[in-house]
Amino acid sequence: MIEILGISKKYDRRTYALNEINASLKERVTTVIGRNGAGKTTLIRILSTQLTPTSGTAVIEGLDILKETKKVRQIISSIPQESQLIGILSPLEQMQLYLMARGFSSSQAKEESKYALDELEMYAYRNAPSDTLSGGMKRKVFVAMALASKAPIIFLDEPTTGLDPLSRIEVWSAIKRLSSKIILTTHYMEEAQELSNEVMVIDQGNIMTHGTIESLLSAFNGMMRAEKLDGAEYDIKIANVAIKYIGKERVDEFVKKGYDIKRVNLDDIFLSRGEILES
Amino acid sequence: MNPKFILYFAWYYGFYVILRGASYLLASLSLPLALLFMVTIFTHGTLIAFAIAGGPIAIVAANSINGAGDAAFFRIQIRIQDLFVATSITSQDYMFALSMSYLVFSLPGIVLYAILGAYFKVFSLSSLLPIVGVLVLLTLTISNLSFIIAGLLKHIRNVWGITAILSIIMTVLPPTFYPYTFLPQGVIYILSVSPVTPAAVLIQGIVGLEPMQFSMIFILFTETILFTLLGRKFIRWRE
Repeated sequence: MIEILGISKKYDRRTYALNEINASLKERVTTVIGRNGAGKTTLIRILSTQLTPTSGTAVIEGLDILKETKKVRQIISSIPQESQLIGILSPLEQMQLYLMARGFSSSQAKEESKYALDELEMYAYRNAPSDTLSGGMKRKVFVAMALASKAPIIFLDEPTTGLDPLSRIEVWSAIKRLSSKIILTTHYMEEAQELSNEVMVIDQGNIMTHGTIESLLSAFNGMMRAEKLDGAEYDIKIANVAIKYIGKERVDEFVKKGYDIKRVNLDDIFLSRGEILES
Repeated sequence: MNPKFILYFAWYYGFYVILRGASYLLASLSLPLALLFMVTIFTHGTLIAFAIAGGPIAIVAANSINGAGDAAFFRIQIRIQDLFVATSITSQDYMFALSMSYLVFSLPGIVLYAILGAYFKVFSLSSLLPIVGVLVLLTLTISNLSFIIAGLLKHIRNVWGITAILSIIMTVLPPTFYPYTFLPQGVIYILSVSPVTPAAVLIQGIVGLEPMQFSMIFILFTETILFTLLGRKFIRWRE
């Protein structure tokens, strides 16, 4: 379990990247959702001991990230946002270096790297210079690193950002093979829905809502999303788009008013930023 | 300390860059070889021994200062540094591994100059060990200086320009390719701000081209320790 205990982070005197957040991440896969600049990467970097919080701390499997950093680093594997491979080295070489940095012997690192690359159907490319690989393949190599690390807790910061739909599905399939506890960040709702059991929505450094996907969506039970450009009735207005959450019995009424009707999904948890859930 | 990681990283990132990126190797040799050519022509061969003795220093210094580009690129652009922060290695392991990779990358140039030095009777077997010692210290000092520069940068857009300028200033201004006795003693001490100066003065002394200046050993050691400590502070390991 990961306990986040009042973590704040200020990069300058005025702005809070994270504002005293508290949470318990209990499920096997937790997704942290938020817009660009919401504080997702800051949170992941703090939890994975890459960044020191301004105040507060976190406890990972009973280990304090500030007081027991070395022990924490032994049980985590963290793939940073937009991390890229060193172009001139091959996937196998880079995986070996990463695993040796984690304390594996050279032969063990080689064997585990080969096994993980094979698992992710990347074995044929193990010796190719990384700058010859596609974007999806490169991300799969990082997921292979996490897989080979055998770390009980894995942090993946925006693992599919910038990938085409096919590559994204490839990376999802790779992530699904991991059996560790995973904390991943994304701004793709379908990714959160596809991969995780638990969702935490962050906005401007604050937690807007947090819970299992089922529990969060249950707040919208029996509701549909009605959407119209310059619509007069709305719960939320984003740019000129009016969004209204309505019961199924009012669908016809809103269709007549020119609204498009859509099923409620994780997008709505994010769009409503918890406001609908609270009301 | 994780010596296995350091050795593997140094070998992979040093040797495979030679193997798969030969243009980088040729680029690193071009300045010292061009200066060797010019010194030979303009002095009618009288200072060729100095240009040969200075060659390995110029190669090691240029490759190590270019490390600022790598360090900044790894931290800011491709986030490889972050990947390693969340592992068992320390900032010192990472810095040492990168430094040693520059030494491995410099090996073909050093061997080329060793052959030239043996042919022109500049280097002898007895001078081998102290020269290697100076080159190792120089690699550590300058690569730590490059970590300081990289740590000060918020963006990588200027790093290649900065390292190119520093590379020229640090290798051409100090007495790398000419006798240090051409300079007044006070100027030598001023130029010792660049670790290349004590290294060049020492190597000219070791190979017997000029009198040995033992004070330069102290300066080079002090700079190595100082830049290592500062490099650890500036590398932004756990920000």
